[in-house]
Formats: sequence, structure tokens, C-alpha cells
Amino acid sequence: MSTVEVNHISKTFATTRAVEDVSFTVEPGEIFGLLGPNGAGKTTSIRIILDIFKPDSGSVVVLGGPMTEEKKNRIGYLPEERGLYQDINLERCLIYLATLKGLEPAEAQKRIDVYLQRFDLADHRKKKVKELSKGMQQKAQLIVTLIHQPELVIIDEPFAALDPVNTQMVKDLLREERDRGKTIVMCTHQMNQVEELCDRLVLINKGKTMLYGSLGEIRRQYATQAVSVHSPQTLPKAIPGVQHVKRENSGYHLLLTEGTTAQQVLRELVERGIPLDSFEIAMPTLDEIFIQVVRGEGARG
Amino acid sequence: MRKLWLVAKYEYLRHVLRKRFLVSILSMPIFFAFIIGVGFLSAILQMDRTPIGYVDHSGLLANPQRPPEAEDSLDYVEMTAFPDEPAAEAALAEGSIRAYYILDSDYLSTGAVEVVANEAKGTEGQGDFRDFVLYNLLQNQDAEVRERLVNGPVLEIRSMDGEKGMGENNILGFLVPMVAAIMLMISINTSGGYLLQALVEEKENRTLEILVTSVSPTQLMAGKIIGNLSVGLTQIGAWLSVAIIGLLVLVRFLPVGQDIQLDPGYLGLLLLLMLPAFVMISALMAMVGATATESREAQQIAGLFTLPLVVPIWFISAILANPNSPLAVGMSLFPLTAPLTLSLRAGYTTVPAWQIITSVTLLILCAIGALWLAGRGFRIGLLRYGKRLTWREILGRQNGRV
Repeated sequence: MSTVEVNHISKTFATTRAVEDVSFTVEPGEIFGLLGPNGAGKTTSIRIILDIFKPDSGSVVVLGGPMTEEKKNRIGYLPEERGLYQDINLERCLIYLATLKGLEPAEAQKRIDVYLQRFDLADHRKKKVKELSKGMQQKAQLIVTLIHQPELVIIDEPFAALDPVNTQMVKDLLREERDRGKTIVMCTHQMNQVEELCDRLVLINKGKTMLYGSLGEIRRQYATQAVSVHSPQTLPKAIPGVQHVKRENSGYHLLLTEGTTAQQVLRELVERGIPLDSFEIAMPTLDEIFIQVVRGEGARG
Repeated sequence: MRKLWLVAKYEYLRHVLRKRFLVSILSMPIFFAFIIGVGFLSAILQMDRTPIGYVDHSGLLANPQRPPEAEDSLDYVEMTAFPDEPAAEAALAEGSIRAYYILDSDYLSTGAVEVVANEAKGTEGQGDFRDFVLYNLLQNQDAEVRERLVNGPVLEIRSMDGEKGMGENNILGFLVPMVAAIMLMISINTSGGYLLQALVEEKENRTLEILVTSVSPTQLMAGKIIGNLSVGLTQIGAWLSVAIIGLLVLVRFLPVGQDIQLDPGYLGLLLLLMLPAFVMISALMAMVGATATESREAQQIAGLFTLPLVVPIWFISAILANPNSPLAVGMSLFPLTAPLTLSLRAGYTTVPAWQIITSVTLLILCAIGALWLAGRGFRIGLLRYGKRLTWREILGRQNGRV
């Protein structure tokens, strides 16, 4: 049974079509990427999943059925931007929001102590939320998202305000949660984070699904007939089966002719006695795919 | 349900534990104490105890007497007799008296009195001298008769069915409805204002998204309204306790408050009017908070329906002069003006039961209607940052689709 099933949802605000016929499923225990440029309809989709908005058409199944009040305690949500009370002290804010997720105050306090230590926020517990830096607020929000040990975690731009150290910490935390069997939906436009963390993803643009599948599949789908080669020696200009040789950073990008396989090129290079530091199929980065899709080149093949 | 109380408790403590709240609770009694204090002070400052002189050609004041208790009074003025005008003139010139009165020899038949004063008009102490003469003219009368003639009747005004009475000297009978009504308005406005502000802030900083994914919108709103209602009630409770303590002190030291009567039925009516009014205004504030895009705009819109609440103040003299006029009755039935008008009228007259029942029923219905509207507005307008909600959308039949 999928944790989240989104079936053909559409949503229009006044004259703006925010989401149009979007479908995807999120499986238990995976980190699922919900990607798209700004204004693509990611947040609207999330709000529909969370039942903040009702879709104009289509349906959503969450944790085995429609969204209910009881299920709210089994879901953790981190919205984009702030989302905390600014005028009260951090600890009180966390306890209040945790109790709203069904925790008893004493239990909430105990768990908050652990999280504050781990997130390096213990010294700031009595400070007003608005006195904390953006990064600290982001971490505090993550505490609110995770404290009630939800089965489904939905996070919108979790790394937006974090420095590299904290980014790493949050990534570790998300992996940890996944390893405990939690399902995570991560909404972002930072492709490198998705490459590192996500198992599967959907890419939406202008409200429509552009790509959907596992990371590997999608990259293979977008792979060109090319290999990337590193060699201490200069490569010859003409290699059989190679259309074009281009210098790329410290190595070479070889574009193969139609019908040539990477093995043939490798054999050729080895036979010519060219020393090789590395030889790999040139996979497009998610960034490249993203830009390609968003610029309207569409899916291939 | 547990979450509803969590929200209510949070909303309550969040305001009550703030310094701002303490200040708002203290400021009202301090304000009143200040006004009353200044009033007393100016009355005392205006009081002139310089003696008044008289030259008596009539012989009526040959053996002058004063009421025995008069010397204890704050405004006791000494009356000094002079044998002739030049002596009085001299005393006036050196300032030991502020004026002198000359009673003609045929005063009893003509009533002719001449008064000489050198200061501004109004400082001659006419009332004091009149009482003095009157008291002495009645020297031979029975003490009780003299007392009645000097002090006049003590009026008590009653309505026709004899239920509602008001002593002429019962300042409270006049003050309580007025003060109660004003306190009601202020606390409805402040606690409604807190609610409005809190909602707009939550919307602006996205806390609402966290809240609505934890609590149902209905529970969230009900919790907020109960929390803020309790803030308003606490405020009123605190003011009432200060007022009661103040009254006890007043009764102890001043004669004015001695026939205080606070009718429990009247307090009950205040409560019946206040609770639905509170819920109605809070719900309307919540709706505006949910639909407006920024706090300044929200406050402007909120003014549109808090203004009618205080409209009865403008008509106060018309309402009090004729508490059963169509204007007064109409304003008692219209939900936004009802709380103030009805509580004012009930203090001065016997309001027919049908009017009270209709008015309270209408208020309760409106409170429920406002809650319904707020619920819809809340659900629809909740997360539409920067986009204004139209009335058509709130009232439109979209089967709850948002």
C-alpha cells in the first residue's frame, strides 16, 4: 500500500491553473522528491495532500484513506519559510506545537530536550523565536516536524536557510528517519540535494507532471550517447565511433556516433595504449535534466 | 476536543501573561480614579470659604443660628454681622469677607436685599446666604419642619409598574449601566482586536499552516474564540473587582454611595447580552483576520463593525430621555447596537420581556451566523496570501471546496 497516492489532481485559483492533472505515488520508507521551479505548483500539491486545499478534481489517498483529523498526528509538515510563533520563547513554542500533535506536555518536554541538544539549540531555549537566526528557526521547525515521530514527513525546502554543516546534519537526520521506516516527501528545487537523498521523484512545471520515476531511470532516460574520460595524455582528435571530442574540466566528453557502444570506444582506447584514469558513461546531472525540461525540451524517447 | 482546549489555553495565557495585558487592566481604574480625583480636586479648589458679611436692618438676624452639623461640612462658610455699611465696606476692602448683603428694614414684606462684592460675579455665595436667612426665619418652627423646608423633598423616581426605582441621590443607578456598557465595549474591542491581530500574524508568518495540519479549522477557531473571550472576561472581572473595592471605600468615607443597590437580575442581563455579543464580534474579527491580507487593512475593516457598537453613545441623551421610544427599541433589537442600548435602558426603565428575549435571541442567532461565516472565511481565505477574499466566495455554494 502506498503512503500517498495522488490521482489526477487539478486546482485553479481564480484564473491561475496551479496544478493540472498531477499524479504520483509515494511508497513507504522512501525519500520522494517533489521538484519544480518556483511557482510550479509544488506547494499547492502539498497543501492538497494535507487537505489544506480541496482539489477541483482528482483525489488524494494518505496513509490508506482520505485525510482525517486523527491522521494529522501521524504526519509531520515543515512549511516553506518560518511557521513559528515569533513572540514567545522557543521552548514554549515547541511544547505548544508538539502538544497539538497529540503529545503529552511531559513527553513533549523530554523529547524537546533531546532535540535541542542535538540541534545545538539548548542555550537558546529561553530566547524569543524572533531573536533566533534563520538557520536556528529552520532547525526549530524541523523539531516541530519530527517530534511526534510521524509516519509521513512532508518538508518544503528543508535546506533553504542552512549552512553546509547544518545541511549535512539535516541530511543525516532525514536518512535516519527513512531507515526507521518513515516516508519522506521532500519539496525542493535544489537538485544536488535530491540526487543525494531521493529514491524517486516527480518533476512538475507550470502545474503539470514533466518527469516521474526513480532517479536512476530518469537519468538513464536523459543520458546522451556519451562517455566521460580522464587521461594524463592528450586524446587523439579522431577516434572511430566518436562524433565529437570536447574538453571538459580536467577530462574529455566524447559524443558517440549512432550505434556505437561505450565498450567499443573503451576497447579502441585500450588497444591504442592510451592510459586511462577514469572512463564512465556520461550521465546528465539532475540539474541539467531540470533545466532541459523546464526550458521546454520535454522528455525524450 | 482536547486540542480545542489546548488552543484556548494557549491563546488565553499568551495575552494574560504579557505586560501589555497588565497595563491594560490597570489603566482603566487608574484612568477613572484620575478623572474622579481631578473632579474632586477642582471642586475643592473652587470652594471659597472666605466669610460672607451682612448688615441687617430688618432685625430678623438679631440672634443668628446655624444648623449644628453645618460646621463639619467641607463647604461651611462663616457669616459675619456688621453694624453698618461702612464697617462692612472696610472689611470687604481689606479682603476679610468676599461680599456683604444688606437686608432692608422691610425685608420681610419686599424681600429686598442688596449685595456688594468686588470680585467676579458668582463668588458672592448667594446660595449660602439664602440658606442662612431661610434657616433663621424658621427659627421658631419645629426642627423637622425646618429641615424639610430648608432641604426640600427627597425624590424617588419609580416606573409605572413600581419595579424600577431610582433615588435622586443614587449616583450608582446612573453610573452602573453607563460604566458597564463602556467596559463591555472596550473589552469586546480589545479582545476581538487581539484575536484579529493574532490571526493576521499567524497568517503572515505561516504558523497557520502548522496549526491547520494539527487541528481542524473549526476546533482552531473555536479555541481561539474561547481563549480570547476569557481574556475579555478576565479583564472585565479585574475591573469589576477594582470597582467594587472602590465602591466599598466610597461608601465608607462619603455619604453619597450609601443607598447602593446592584440588582443581580441586571448583572444577569449584562451577561446574557455580553456573551453572544462577544462571540459575534470575535467571530467577525476572526473572519476579517482570515480574509484580509495585512494587519492594517484588517483593522480598517474591523472598524466598520465595531463602530456600530458605540453608536448608542451618540444617542445616549435621546435614549435616556425616552427609553421606550421607537429609536431606543429599534437599537435594542439590532444586534450590533443591542448590547449597549439594552444595558443602558435596563438601568433606567423596565424593558418589556419580549424585547429582552427577542434581542438576546437575535444576538445568539447572529453569533452562530457569524461563527459559520468565520468558519467559511477561515477555511477559504486561510492561506490565500496576498489575495483578497470576496463576499461571493464566502457565501458562494462551493460545497466546502477551497
